[in-house]
Parts: sequence; structure tokens; C-alpha cells
Amino acid sequence: MTEKVTRREILNLIGAAGGSAAVLGASAALGLMPNSAAASIPQLKPLDPANRKSVAILGAGISGLTAAYELSKAGYDCIVLEASHRPGGRNMTVRSGDIIDEVGNRQVCEFDDEPHMYFNAGPARLPSTHRNILHYCKELGVELEVFINESKEAYVQDDNMFGGKPIKNAMFTTNARGFMAEVLAKNFTRQELDQPFTEWEAERILGMVRSFGDLNSANEFRGSSRAGYADIDGGYLAHGIQKEMVSFRELLKSSYVNRLLNANEGETGPILFQPVGGMDKIITGFVKTMPERVYYNAIVTAVELGDDSVNIAYRYKGMENSIKADYCLNCIPTHLMSGITHNFPRDYTDAMLYVRRGEAYKSAFQAKERFWEKEDIYGGISWVNQPIRQIWYPPHGMFKEKGVILSSYDFGGGMHFTRLSQEERIEAAISQGEKVHADYRKYVEKGITIAWNRMNHMLGCAARWQRGAVMTSDEEKLMHTLRSPAANRHYFIGDQVTLHAGWQESAIVSALWSVNDLHNRAIGNSAGINPAPLV
Amino acid sequence: MKNFLLACLLTGSAFTLFTPVAFAQQSGMPIPGQEPVLTSICMTCHGAYGQGNPVVGGPRLAGMQAWYLKNQLESFRNGWRGMEKDYLPAYEMRETASALTETDINQLMVMLEAWDAEPAPDTITGDVSKGAELYQQCVACHGADAMGNELLAAPALAGQNDWYLLSQLKLFKSGYRGSHPEDIFGLRMQVVLPLLNNEQDMQDVLAYINSID
Repeated sequence: MTEKVTRREILNLIGAAGGSAAVLGASAALGLMPNSAAASIPQLKPLDPANRKSVAILGAGISGLTAAYELSKAGYDCIVLEASHRPGGRNMTVRSGDIIDEVGNRQVCEFDDEPHMYFNAGPARLPSTHRNILHYCKELGVELEVFINESKEAYVQDDNMFGGKPIKNAMFTTNARGFMAEVLAKNFTRQELDQPFTEWEAERILGMVRSFGDLNSANEFRGSSRAGYADIDGGYLAHGIQKEMVSFRELLKSSYVNRLLNANEGETGPILFQPVGGMDKIITGFVKTMPERVYYNAIVTAVELGDDSVNIAYRYKGMENSIKADYCLNCIPTHLMSGITHNFPRDYTDAMLYVRRGEAYKSAFQAKERFWEKEDIYGGISWVNQPIRQIWYPPHGMFKEKGVILSSYDFGGGMHFTRLSQEERIEAAISQGEKVHADYRKYVEKGITIAWNRMNHMLGCAARWQRGAVMTSDEEKLMHTLRSPAANRHYFIGDQVTLHAGWQESAIVSALWSVNDLHNRAIGNSAGINPAPLV
Repeated sequence: MKNFLLACLLTGSAFTLFTPVAFAQQSGMPIPGQEPVLTSICMTCHGAYGQGNPVVGGPRLAGMQAWYLKNQLESFRNGWRGMEKDYLPAYEMRETASALTETDINQLMVMLEAWDAEPAPDTITGDVSKGAELYQQCVACHGADAMGNELLAAPALAGQNDWYLLSQLKLFKSGYRGSHPEDIFGLRMQVVLPLLNNEQDMQDVLAYINSID
């Protein structure tokens, strides 16, 4: 009665109708899912005390600290040299009194001094699938809470749509899905569906499509209470008044039809977490275990690979110093390493010159009043088709008087805000925010901006290896070159040498790979040395 | 200073790291004019020993004449340079220069003296003989040896990063640099710039300058 189809064909068909979540469910049932695995923390056999080894770690970002932590546990003598006045690198939480050390635009944060009044200027989300960083949160006692990335009560604003009037995310997504489902239901006739599926399966698929778009029994979308009721008290003691459908043609005017429905898929699909009190609680957790090993305002000026050691020159407290270590783990951004004296091999240098600096930009305000809570928003993101791109509402500090609101997040591909003066940045954030919240200007104050491209001692966000739409094999080889040890004792580490820059998990995975490789070399276990990463 | 590390190794004064506590007590020689804030401000872009960093667009400072560096810091502070938002390094430099104090600048000059002035590596190639002809227009101010002339406020070109000189020629050509009516030295460059018709001419003249390093 039914034709036998391959597993993959079924997945493709279900995928076409149900999106990636549907594929995930089906493939688990069919045994295509990877096995559940633990975090990739290496269990290093401690060094023989008679065979001490020293490691100089350049940079106290998340990769450097991870490496120092693991190697110290295994009995290595570690030192971490950090150029900045603070640890963490791009893991940066800004609170009252903190310095934002942007080249040419130094700022001091003037937020109220309260535990919930902080801004995660770098990474702000920990996906539940990032097992390695969650492992360290657990091990270091960093308390986590759920981070709310999507709220259907937040807004979508686009000057091209509804004359620029913001609409609730629920309104946008409910109507978009309703239209898509109706099209799908009408075009997938029973006859067509009967070909690969049994009648029972075909009914199931139609049921799924109806439920996806909230269609009526005639497979028509006629609006849905999923978009909320027109009257706030609706649906309890009296029947709610359903909101009018919006014209799908109107939604089509906005480019968000191409990019909003997947906003909470992929990396932001899993449950997301944030450390209670700020992302840098992870950093302080690491540093607390080895405060004597981390040196601040220690600026590396030269790295020289020797036959049996790595020699590091650095400035510290007005003096030129040098140290000699058995190994060096280096998370200095490659574009800054180009300005530091070194004797790296030519292929290393060529690879360093290829990488481009990332450009991400974030800004935040202190809000005198948590005005978003009056609009049923307690977290999530409003999407704004303006240079600010996004407004984030804090999921923490609920019901308190004030809060810190993310007022823009340009996650790359543009230097718009970076080129503006501080005053221009603040005014742009306010005037664009007013498109979503009419009284915005009244509520926000004490703005701070973080242009990662210009932050001192970093001068960039996530490293950009790709010049085109996809990474070429040549580009991947260049990255591989930097990830591989030079002279068997110098490693570049950090998210900059991973395929997934911009996440702390990548920095940790990179550090652990190098730590494991280094350890195997140190104990003379050449058989255990990591195989070269696949290119 | 750049050879400090090497010197330490040769004289056996380098330290082997055993414990961080022991390490903390180790130090070498004082840094001339060293002020942590200055190291922190300049070195990120211009390199640890002022040798320049092509990746972030910071030119070589080591070997730059102190009077020229002072002039240019003034130019930035006056807003004669660095107003062009589409050339970000100069724009950033203007804001950075504006934040420097007189003490900072004087200390910078002390550091400048201490840096080795090795010529920057050549990165630009071109027609050297054509470049030599074109350079005749430059000789009067910058000198036959391209070492500059303080009386004419013309900086040394020899030894400077060629990629940086190219970027500056382009900025002069497009009017971003040397256009402010009070920038009398910068304005002089506008007189000769029409002689460099295109980027190829610029590369040729830079190839010639590279050849006389």
C-alpha cells in the first residue's frame, strides 16, 4: 500500500513541514542522534614533582584562565600575564565605578551600585549544550539562573512595516505561522501526501500543520488567541476579544520575515543561562583558585621560541622583565601579536596576518524605572530594524525600581556605532529606542558603550577568518597552523583559533585541546598527543 | 631595548620560572620614561617597541623624529588630522591624542629615544626607476636620502612602514589630510600630490624609497 522510503527522505519531508525541532525529535527515534557525552575536560595525570614544568600563559581571558586552572591542578608552575587592569578579556561585566577602557573613549560606569545593576558587555548567554563551560560553573561554584532570550511580549519594529509602529513579537510570529500553515495545508492534498505516507500519517501531518499555524477545521487561518487578546482582561470572566489578523503582505514588507522565526533556534535554541550577578562571576571563580598566579598591567613585549624554552619579555610596574618557561599558551589576539616582537615561523606569521578583527558593539542604559514590566515584558529581545538592532530586557532584578537595559547590539559586519562619538552613540541609541518605546528618553540615563573593535588590549571581537560566505579550506589550514604548537611549545589558544569564534565554550575547548597536547608532550607520551585537527 | 630579551639570554640574566612567588620578585631594567598608562595607550596599536602593526593600522613610531611626532600629535589634537571617519585608525588617533597630557607626551619622547629604529619591512613593490623620477619632486623637502628636514617640517620617509606611507598619500590625495587652512605644513603636500596621478605612481615612489633605506 505504501512505498518504502528512506529514513533521510522522511526526515526531509518532516523537516520541510515542521522545521528543525521536528527533525530533531524524529532522528532521535531513529537512532541518528550523537550519543550523549560528558564534557571534554581532560583528566591530567599529575606531573612527577621531580619533573617540574613551567607554563607562561599570555592573557587572562576565559581560555587562558581555563588552561592555568587545569595545568595548576596537574602540578605545573603557571603564570598568567594580563595586559589589562582586569581579568576576563571579552567576558566583561560592567558595574558602578568600572572603567571601560576604549582607546580614545575611556568611560566610567555610573550605574547605581546594586547587585542587579550590571551589564554583560561581552558574552551574556550560556546555552545548556555548552557542557564545558557549564562544567566549570559547577566546579567553581558559580550560581546560574535562566536567561530569557525570547519573549513574545517584546516587540518587532521596522520602518517598512505598519508605518514603523512596533508590534508584539507574538503578533508577528502568530500571523506569519498562520499564513505559512494555511499555504501548506492547501497545497498538500491528500493525494500527494498519500504517496509516501499512509492515510494515518497524512492525517498526522495535516494535524501538525494545523497546529503549527492554529488553523481552523477548514484549514484556514482566521487569527489566533496566540497573538494575545485585544482586551487585557479577556478570556477569564468574559470571552476575550481576539486581535484582528494582520495582513501578511504587511509583514512581507519587513525583512524580519526572513530572520525572526529562527531567532530562538540553533545556538540560542537550548535553555540559556547567565551567572547570578554577572557573567564575570565565572572569571572571579577561576581567579579565586589562583590569585597569586595572575599579573595585571603586565604587558608582553616579546615572545621568543628557544630550543628548550619559550622566553617572554614583558613590562610590569615600570620595569622590563623576562621569564623563561617550558611552554607558552598564548591567547593574545593574533592582530596584537603582530605588534609584539617574536621569532615565530613564517607560516605562523602569515596566518596571523590573515585574520581580521571582529567588530561587535553593545551599549546599555540604566533605566530609572522598569518601564518594560508595564508592557508585560520580563526579559527577551525586541528586534529593531535600525542600527541598534536589538533591545534586551533584563530577566533579573524583576520588580525592583531600576534595571539595566541593553540599548543596542550590533553583532558584527558593521562599524556604524564604533565610528560615532560617545554623545552620538548615546543619542542614536535613544532616538532609535524611541521607535519601540515612545517614552524611552524619559526613562534611560547613564549610557555606556562598548565598541569591541577599539577596546584597549583587545582591539577586536571574535576573530574573522572568512573572507567569503563560507570558510575555504585554505583559511581552515591557516587556522590549523596557529592552533598547532610552534617549536613544540607555543600554542595559540582561545576562540580565535576555533571554527566557532564568539562563544566562551570555544575558548574553553581550544584551551583544553592545547592543555592536553602540552601535557602529553611534557610527560613524553608522544602516542597520546592529539591528532592534528581535521582540515 | 628591542634586544633586551636577547641581551638577557646572552648574559645569563634570564630567569627560569619555578613558582609565581619567586617570579614576582624578578625584574630587569627600568623602562626609560615608562609610565604604565602610556605603555598601555600607545603600544596596543603601535607595537610593543613602537615597531608598528600593519594588522591594526598603527605605523612605526621607533625612528620617527621627535619633532615630527610632536607636530603630528598637535595636528591630531587640533583636528587637522583624524576627522575622516572612513579611515578609522586616524580617527582613533585623534581621540587618543586628545586624551594625552603634556607629561604623557614628554615621556613618550623619552621612550621614543630608547627604541631601536630598525627599518620597517618592505611590503610594497613597484617600478623603482619610475619611482626615482617621481621622487625628484620630493627631494627638496624630504631629502635625497629620504631622511627628512626638520626646518621644513618634512619627516623621514626611509624606514617607515610603506603601507602606512601609501595610506597617507591616499589621504592627502583625497583631501582628508593637508587641507585644513591652519595646517601649513600639511598644505605643502597638496602642491606636489598632483604629480602622483594614481596608486601605481604612489607604489613606484614607495618602491624607490624602500630601495634607499
